[in-house]
Amino acid sequence: MDITIQDYLNILPLIIIAAGILISVVIEMYAKNSEKILPWFSIVIFFSAGYYALFTVNSQSVLFSNMIVTGGTANIFFFLFCFGAAIVSLLSIDYLKKAGIYFGEYYILLQSAVLGMMLLANARDLVMIFIGLEQMSIPFYVLAGFNRKKHFSNEAALKYFLLGAFATGFIVFGMGLIYGSVGSMSIDAIMTKFGDVSTNAVFIIGVLLFIIGFSFKIAAFPFHMWVPDVYQGSPTTVTAIMSTGGKAAAFSALFIALSPFFGDVSFNIFKPFLSALAVLSMLFGSIVAIAQTDIKRMLAYSSISHAGYMLIGVTSGLASGTAGVIFYLAAYTFMNLGAFGIVSMLEGENDTNLKIDDYINLGKKNPLIAGLLSIFMFALSGLPPFAGFFGKYYVFISAIESGMTWLAIVGVISSVISVYFYLRLVVLMYFKEGNEGINPTVSNTALLGVVIAALIVILIGLFPGSIIELISTFVI
Amino acid sequence: MNIYDLIFYLFATITVLSALAVVSTKNIIYSAYNLMLTFFGVAGLYVLLGADFLAIVQLIVYVGGILILILFGVMLTNKVNGMPIHTEVTNIIPASITIGLFAGIVLAFFMNTNWKSVTTEFPATTIQSLGKLLMNEYILIFELLGVLLLIALIGAASIARKQ
Amino acid sequence: MGILEIIIITFVKILIIVTMMLLSVSYLVYFERKISAWTQNRVGPNRVGYAGLLQPFADVFKLLLKEDIVPDAANKPIHTLAPIMALVIAFGTYAVIPIGPAVELFGYNIQLVVADVNIGILYVLALTSIGVYAITFSGWSSGSKYSLLGGVRSSAQMISYEISMGFSVAGVLLFSESLRPLDIVASQSGWMWNAIVQPIGFITFVVSAFAETNRLPFDLPEAEPELVGGYHTEYSSMKFAAFFLAEYANMIIASALIVTLYLGGWQVPYIEMAGLSAGLTALIQVGAFFVKMGALLFFFIWVRWSLPRFRYDQLMSLGWKVMFPLSLVNLIWVAVLVMLFN
Repeated sequence: MDITIQDYLNILPLIIIAAGILISVVIEMYAKNSEKILPWFSIVIFFSAGYYALFTVNSQSVLFSNMIVTGGTANIFFFLFCFGAAIVSLLSIDYLKKAGIYFGEYYILLQSAVLGMMLLANARDLVMIFIGLEQMSIPFYVLAGFNRKKHFSNEAALKYFLLGAFATGFIVFGMGLIYGSVGSMSIDAIMTKFGDVSTNAVFIIGVLLFIIGFSFKIAAFPFHMWVPDVYQGSPTTVTAIMSTGGKAAAFSALFIALSPFFGDVSFNIFKPFLSALAVLSMLFGSIVAIAQTDIKRMLAYSSISHAGYMLIGVTSGLASGTAGVIFYLAAYTFMNLGAFGIVSMLEGENDTNLKIDDYINLGKKNPLIAGLLSIFMFALSGLPPFAGFFGKYYVFISAIESGMTWLAIVGVISSVISVYFYLRLVVLMYFKEGNEGINPTVSNTALLGVVIAALIVILIGLFPGSIIELISTFVI
Repeated sequence: MNIYDLIFYLFATITVLSALAVVSTKNIIYSAYNLMLTFFGVAGLYVLLGADFLAIVQLIVYVGGILILILFGVMLTNKVNGMPIHTEVTNIIPASITIGLFAGIVLAFFMNTNWKSVTTEFPATTIQSLGKLLMNEYILIFELLGVLLLIALIGAASIARKQ
Repeated sequence: MGILEIIIITFVKILIIVTMMLLSVSYLVYFERKISAWTQNRVGPNRVGYAGLLQPFADVFKLLLKEDIVPDAANKPIHTLAPIMALVIAFGTYAVIPIGPAVELFGYNIQLVVADVNIGILYVLALTSIGVYAITFSGWSSGSKYSLLGGVRSSAQMISYEISMGFSVAGVLLFSESLRPLDIVASQSGWMWNAIVQPIGFITFVVSAFAETNRLPFDLPEAEPELVGGYHTEYSSMKFAAFFLAEYANMIIASALIVTLYLGGWQVPYIEMAGLSAGLTALIQVGAFFVKMGALLFFFIWVRWSLPRFRYDQLMSLGWKVMFPLSLVNLIWVAVLVMLFN
């Protein structure tokens, strides 16, 4: 096996992040004020890797004896993860100070989580998926419990760790069964041998276990129980990246593993299972979110319902569905990051200012923040012309194309329900009489991050056609 | 039945019986001790399969590393309040049903699979070919595992820090 | 050679090795006492036999005839198991260490090693790591705080130093390109002893070997002033003797391992130029092996009676912050050498 310069150039985003981790460790070790240097260093790292990935999106290749692919959708995911993480770094600078967890390791762990997500997105081999998953999850376990003085944070970390390890067990067991029936871990080998094994019970159970394991990671309904507690207990900025990048990475891995089936008759075996997951997640998330009084818990349940919408696209088993989900993930990443970013900005010390009622009259006290939050809420609820609307539109269309109109109808109903709790926040901010609510202090770096997220959300909403076209060219 | 079959059944018996003892004993140190025997049995099976390197790594990593960490944790927590910790064996009936079902599924797979048996020469040693594979085909995974372990170390240190 | 012959030859080898080990262990104790006496300007044992030469037997009989006391708080099965494990593991390690070249005896071509295993060095490392269990179990099962502390200390210490030990060995393996002890010895022909080629690795390995055998200056697990007797506080009679034997057997194995890995094994540089007969050469080589080993054993004892004990935190920081990076430096050094000269 010869490795050429071009190969190294193709995996340059991975190399940048991995080198960034190692350099960050050295900085953390020797620099006195590493917690001041590291956020900016990691922003530079993330930005250069993300920009390079977007720049080389057309150079598709398969590398390292079919272990990974570069270019195409992988690079689009790279861009998502890196820009998302860059925004999170911006948000974290002042948030960590406020929360009393002002340590440099935070950024090292953030970078390694991003490396794991990237590996998940460009894997071409089940082993690679597993390593990417661990590389992403282990930093998340630590980050969830990063605020060690808080019991909630510790509880979140432990819960996430135990259930995450459990889910990993499912995934590995599924991989074992797939390997047992196919005789190879490579996705290409699974594709070529697909005809022989598609009716094999071992293989199908293996794939189902694999899907179950990843349903934990994407927070779909029956496997969602960790989500509210973990999202609430973790530091808010960590929740931001966990709920966006982590979810997108898990979806990308699901696509890679399921890609041999797409367009094949045998995919019908999985359709009832996947559509059940989708319907339950959508309805459960939307309905339970209404009853929440804590904004982080509300966003956690909304995250469950969004996993349901995206699963519709997976269920369709079509290229248009895949493209739709990738579009949805791009939109969701930035709108959810923005929403969590604002929550982290307004959060006071010791978990104060996290109730929905604390947002009353925000429109008068800080119109800028209230306006931005409204944009994100409109986008999350799927109102046109924001990004969320087109995401749902593409996903529902793919469901109709694959002959599952009922799934799209359930999706629309669930969206209508969810409008209630998203817009209630907007109503509370602008149309409530009286003078209650909090007086926020705003951090400039975090504001910059949120504004960038808002700009991207608006941009995606303005040019959905060209973006979906770009994605569709890479999805076979 | 030749001598290899005999050795196989010996190791298989050790593995299964000690694994049973791990879950059924009430003293956690006995569990750990029996787990060691289980690992030994599995290592023996690896040797019979011609995977000498894997067998010895099984011993070094599982017996020498992981299990000693478990014991370490038990020793440091066991008699904290002057009361030895005893694990309880509860829910025997549901557990047996689940395990029975699982065993049935595994057995069904085992019976229905079209096993291929290949007669090959035992490789004298597997280390060189393993090394070549790790440094060529799986080089990326090999390197990334290094990063993964580093991150796990940093994470553990970060959890255990003082402030 | 038929299977029966192989089995008989192996049994004879095992018998010889075990007898040799038992004898040398008892006399090692004698020498330890004599050397310590010289160091401290005393006389040492001199009553039993000529110059105290029968002292080891007197000691053994004393231990055998003593009452075996098992404390009330002890966990009996594991309390009994621990010394057996210690002894078995200590003796088992010797199986893969070659003490001389292949020789012709009674018409058979015999390798002077019990088991010629492909992964011999890993086998040694694996058994060393299992050796921790004997001490951990004995510490826990005695039901005494001194024993427990000794056990915890020793498992932490042995795990920490195993790492630098493993990395030092990796340097040797880079040269020999094999894990087989015979190949490792063969790769050090002439003056190319690993102790000369990779001195840093030699030092880290020797220091780690001291820590692994729980010898001074690293004998924290049984530090008398703090822990009474460490992990074997609650042992008496034969069980105590077993631990005692195991400790000295471990010392012998550590020296044999150092000789094999770093001091050219049984080789005498350029002996083939002397033009001696094959039998004589083999005899000299086996002798050379034991001379090297004896010198190392003397070094072990010498160090014990010259250096003070480390504090526990010093021990840990030495292991993790000095020995581990040094062994990595050694590995890089060897890799560069191999790249340049291959």
